[in-house]
Amino acid sequence: MKIDVKTFVAWFKDRLALTPILKYMTKKEVPQHEHSFWYYTGSSILLFLFIQIITGIMLAFYYRPTLEGANASIARIMTELPLGWLVRSIHSWSATFMIAIVMVHMLAIMFTKSYRKPREVTWMTGMMLLVVSMVFGFTGYLLPWDDLSLSATKVGTNIPMAIPVVGKWVTQFLRGGDDVTGDTLTRFFLFHVCILPLVIFAILIVHILLVQKEGMSVPLKDEIAKKKVPALPFWPNFVLREVIIWLVLLGTVLTVSLAFAPSLGPSADLMAPAPEGVKPEWYFLFLFQTLKIFPANMGPVTGEFVAVVLIMIGIMAVFFLPFLDNKPETKKGKLVTYLCILGVIYAIVFSIWSLQ
Amino acid sequence: MRINNSYFTRRKFLNSILGGWLGAVVVSFISPIVKFVWPPYKEPDEVKLALADYSSMPPGEVKNFPWGAKPGLLKKAADGTFIAWVGVCTHLDCNVSWVPEKKQFYCACHVGWYDENGTNIIGPPPKPLRRLEASVEGEDLFVRKPGAGAKA
Repeated sequence: MKIDVKTFVAWFKDRLALTPILKYMTKKEVPQHEHSFWYYTGSSILLFLFIQIITGIMLAFYYRPTLEGANASIARIMTELPLGWLVRSIHSWSATFMIAIVMVHMLAIMFTKSYRKPREVTWMTGMMLLVVSMVFGFTGYLLPWDDLSLSATKVGTNIPMAIPVVGKWVTQFLRGGDDVTGDTLTRFFLFHVCILPLVIFAILIVHILLVQKEGMSVPLKDEIAKKKVPALPFWPNFVLREVIIWLVLLGTVLTVSLAFAPSLGPSADLMAPAPEGVKPEWYFLFLFQTLKIFPANMGPVTGEFVAVVLIMIGIMAVFFLPFLDNKPETKKGKLVTYLCILGVIYAIVFSIWSLQ
Repeated sequence: MRINNSYFTRRKFLNSILGGWLGAVVVSFISPIVKFVWPPYKEPDEVKLALADYSSMPPGEVKNFPWGAKPGLLKKAADGTFIAWVGVCTHLDCNVSWVPEKKQFYCACHVGWYDENGTNIIGPPPKPLRRLEASVEGEDLFVRKPGAGAKA
């Protein structure tokens, strides 16, 4: 029997039942209109997720999640290992880029009202992905184990305490006890490199399959006019355009990582007073500032409790947005647009305020 | 198949038995898992310090001591007795420090201040610093949770 590349590929396709998938990919079309630029944000997030996985695995080869070893192992990665400082810098910057583009992706969908029927679950899985990405950031922030990251984690893990009954359990679960200790560090490492990756992949698969199932959302006015929008073949036309954007983003993240490598403070001391200027990652700043402006006590409850409840209501409202705004997809949603703009202004103003 | 006068088919009966058994096994695994994952570490009930390390403090001075995995604060009162607090902010758990020039405790995380008696005076802290009981017993200085009492 003659075995050449062609027969092997055909055998492979047949045994793995790839033909329908390849057929789908070649037939898939992406609508072209004035808002189609936002379609590219989805694949850009995947690019940064890919960078996170690669650089994250590289860092994990040398990182030690223990009280004594954590800070020193990062110092070693940054000073002794070839280009170790750059790997850490890319991991840190790519996380920032990823969260930023996730937010742009989310806002684009809010403004174009693409979350409406039949894409409610796509929206909700997207919100879960945002939350998981932020938890990735929160757990990763502790791992360098310097004084800033320790204090930020003490604050962050103390916040659930404001919730009656279950709050204390949540805090103890996160910390592995009543206080932040070496166990907390090990736990956060485990969340960061094992549990969260499993969770993000599970949700991501559902999210991407739902996007394929429902197809791309088209602008409201075309929907109303029942116009057939021009489309671009996914393969290769759309993918090649994606590649251009990936290359630009990769260049940007590399440049920024080279120029602004993150610093590493001295190893955290559990007994030392909190340093000045404790702040979380930039995407938590507006929540941090919200917590800060509430007074100590408001009537029978603490201000912190009121703040936490308000933040939870806000998150729930965004999560269930497709049900709060369940107009038919052909109706405009000015109120949601205004509320979104208000939300963005609030987040930006509070973030800047927190840095004062 | 259903036996005469039976409420169930044989299939339904077997499914319920096996399903119930599987459910019971899963439930019986939950408790040990929860116990394992939830905290092994608790705050101490008391710590023993060497009195010699603290006896030379002038009245009004504050020193740190390890209260489990977080700092405790020990102050010598004017009458020579010791007063102790847990050294974390009652707002969001940051470690506080003693500022001798102001005779106040300070939390840098959200700018909270406590007076020299541990009472919250400025900023977001909702409560005074948590008090501990300090007592001198021979050469030892014991710091205990309020109500923990001396060991017999």
